[in-house]
Amino acid sequence: MKRKECIKAYAYLLPCLILASVFFLYPFLNTLISSLLRINTSGVVLGFAGLSNYALLFKDKSFQNSILRTLLFTSLFVPLNTFLTLLASSLTARKIKGFGPVETIFFLPVAISLSGATLIFKEMFRGRVSIINRLLGLEIDWLNERFPAMLTLVFLGVFLDFGIDYILLLTSFRAIDKRVLEAAEIDGASSAQIYFHIELPLIMRMLLMTVFLAIKDALLIVAPIIILTEGGPFRSTETILFYYYIEAFKSGNRAVQNTVSTLMVLSAALVMVIYSLIFHRRDKK
Amino acid sequence: MKKILIFAFTLFLILPLFSSGEREKGVTIITIWHPNSGLIGEAFEELVNDFNQTVGKDENIQIEAVYQGLANDVLTKVKAAAISKTLPDIAQMDATAATDMNNADYLVTMRDLGLREEEILINARNAFSSEKGLLAMPFNASSLLLYYNKDVFEENGVEPPKTFDEFIEIADKIGEKDEKGNVTRYALQGVPTTFELTSFIGAQNGLSYIVNKKNGHEGLPTEVLFGKEGTYKAFLEKWKELFDTGYLNSITSGVSTEFASGRSATMLQSSSNLSTVIDSVGDNFRVGVSEIPMVNEKATGGVAPSGGAMFAFTNSSEVRKVLEYFMRDDVQLKWAELTGYIPLNVNVYESEEYRDFIKENPNFHVAMSALNGSNPNLTNLWLPSAYQIYYSFQKNIDDVVNERITIDAAVDEMVTTIKDALESYEAQNIV
Repeated sequence: MKRKECIKAYAYLLPCLILASVFFLYPFLNTLISSLLRINTSGVVLGFAGLSNYALLFKDKSFQNSILRTLLFTSLFVPLNTFLTLLASSLTARKIKGFGPVETIFFLPVAISLSGATLIFKEMFRGRVSIINRLLGLEIDWLNERFPAMLTLVFLGVFLDFGIDYILLLTSFRAIDKRVLEAAEIDGASSAQIYFHIELPLIMRMLLMTVFLAIKDALLIVAPIIILTEGGPFRSTETILFYYYIEAFKSGNRAVQNTVSTLMVLSAALVMVIYSLIFHRRDKK
Repeated sequence: MKKILIFAFTLFLILPLFSSGEREKGVTIITIWHPNSGLIGEAFEELVNDFNQTVGKDENIQIEAVYQGLANDVLTKVKAAAISKTLPDIAQMDATAATDMNNADYLVTMRDLGLREEEILINARNAFSSEKGLLAMPFNASSLLLYYNKDVFEENGVEPPKTFDEFIEIADKIGEKDEKGNVTRYALQGVPTTFELTSFIGAQNGLSYIVNKKNGHEGLPTEVLFGKEGTYKAFLEKWKELFDTGYLNSITSGVSTEFASGRSATMLQSSSNLSTVIDSVGDNFRVGVSEIPMVNEKATGGVAPSGGAMFAFTNSSEVRKVLEYFMRDDVQLKWAELTGYIPLNVNVYESEEYRDFIKENPNFHVAMSALNGSNPNLTNLWLPSAYQIYYSFQKNIDDVVNERITIDAAVDEMVTTIKDALESYEAQNIV
C-alpha cells in the first residue's frame, strides 16, 4: 500500500521533474561542463581547459568592474526598495475609506512593461534640461555622470519592483488576525508597540521574501541597463549580466558565456540556500 | 456528429500551421535579413520592389526582405540560425560581424560566388576583405563627419576646423558662456570610441593601424600598434587640450539631441545619420558638414569607411544576380539619393545624374569625397571583444580629460586591454 502511494506521488511529480530536468538541470550541467572546455566562437570544442576559463574571467578588469558595480547597485537598491515598499504598505495597511485609489497607484507599476517604464525614465532624466531637473530645481546631467546614472538605475529598479513587493506586503499586513491587534489595544499597547512588536514580526516572513527577491533582481539586472544606460557613462553601470550580454551575446565569447552562467546560477542558489536556512531557523523557534 | 464537428473545427484551427503558402512554380525566393528601418527601411523596400518587378520577374527570382533589428542583432540571429541550419540566403550586417563571418564555415565569399569586384569602390572593398578575399558585398557605406551649426560658424566668422589646433583656437568663439560662467553652448560634445579612433589614429602619418595585420584584416592581430607608434598619445594630447578650453563636454549619450537643440556647435557622427540629423534640426539652424579635423599636419590618411555589407550564405547564381543588382550603378545611385549612403559603384561618379544630385545636396557630397580621398588601405578595426574595447576607450578618454590618469598610463591601459582581449580570444579559438 505504502509503496503504491509512493509510486503515485512520483507519478504526479513526474511532469514537473521532466520539465525541470529538460529546462533546468540539463542546460545547467551542459553549461557547467562547457565552462571547463575550450570552445571557439563557432561552437566547436577544441579541448579541455580546466579552470583556465575561470582564471581568464577573473583576470579581466571589465569583469572585476562589473562585480563591483553589481554590488554597489545591490547595496543601494535593496535597502531603498525594502524601506519604501514597507513604508507604503504600512501606511495603507488599515483600510480607510477613499484610499482605494492610493492602493491602485502604488500597485500600478506592475501594469507597466519593463521596457516601457525604462523608456519613460530615459526621457524623464535626459540631459540637463530634463523633466526631473525642472521639477526638483537641479542641474544634474543624470545619465551622463557616473554616480547619478547609477542612482537613476536604482530609482528605476525600485519603480519596477515596487508594485509587486507592495502588494505582497499589503496582503500579509491585512492577513494578520484582527483579534490579536484588538487584544493588544485593550491591554493599552501604543500603535508603535503594536506595529513593531506584533505586526512587523508577523509579516517578517513575507518581508524577508521580498528582500531576497530584491537581492535576486539586483544580481540579475540587465534589461533596464541595456535600454537606459548601455552600461555607461564610462562603464559605471556595467553590471555582471550586462558584461555577460555584450561579451557573450554580442562578441560571441563562449568562455564568458559558460563561466558567467555557471557562476550566476551558483550565486543565485547560494542566495536561496541562505534564505531557506533563515526560514528553517525561524520556523524551528 | 459532435465529435466530427469538433474534429473538423480543430483541423480548421491547426491547418494554417502546416500551409507553406502556395508559391508560383519555378520561382526562387531569396531571403535577405536586413537592419534598415525608418527612412532607410523605406528606401530599401523600394529597391527590393524594383528588383521583384523587373529583373526578378524576368529571371524568376523574388527577394523576401526581412527586418531583423539593428545590424548587430542581425549578426546574433545569423549565428543562432547557423546552428539550427535556418540561415537566410543573404544578411546585411556591419563590420562587427566581420570577425565572426571570417571564421564561419557557412559563409559564401564573393570569390566563391564569382561576383565581379572591380566596380566596387576600393576603400569599401578593403573594409570587408580578409585573407580569404572579399567576404561580403559592401552595400551601405558611410564615413565619419564633423557636423556643425552653420549659423554659429557664420555669426562668428569662422570656418570649420581642418586640424585639432584650429579647433582649439576657435573653441571659445563657437562656444558660449552665460554671465555666471556656465557653458550654454559647447564647441563639441561626445567621447570618441573605436569607430572615431580608427580614423583619428588611422589617418596619422598617412596610414596607421590600431593593431597589426592591417587592423585584423589579415588574421588575428598579435600586436597593438598605437602604443609604440605614439598615435593614440598624439590624439589624447590634442583631445585633452580641446577639453581644457572648457568647451568640450565629455558625454556619451544624447549627443545628437544636444546638437539639434543648439547646445553644441559641432558633433562627430557617421554620414549615415545625415538625413536624420537634418530632419531633427528642422528650422532651428542650418546644418553643415565637413571632413573631420586632423590630429596634426601629418595626419593625411583621411577616414576609415564604415557601414555595412551583404553577406551570402547560399552559393547560387540567383544570389549572385541579386547582389549584382544591388551593385548596379543606377541602383547604387538611387540608394545614395534616398539615404545619403556613399555610392559604391565607381561608375556612378561619372554620371550626369550624380553630378546634379550633389549640386543640389552639397552636404551629401562631403562624405563621398572624404572617403574617395582617403587612403584605401585605411580600414575599420576587426577585433574580438569589440564592445568591451569600445566602452574601454570611452572610459579611458574620459579618465584622461578629467585627470584621473596620465596620458601615458592611459595609453598603457588601452594597450593592455586590447592585448588581454586578443590573448583570451587566442586561448579559446586557436587550435
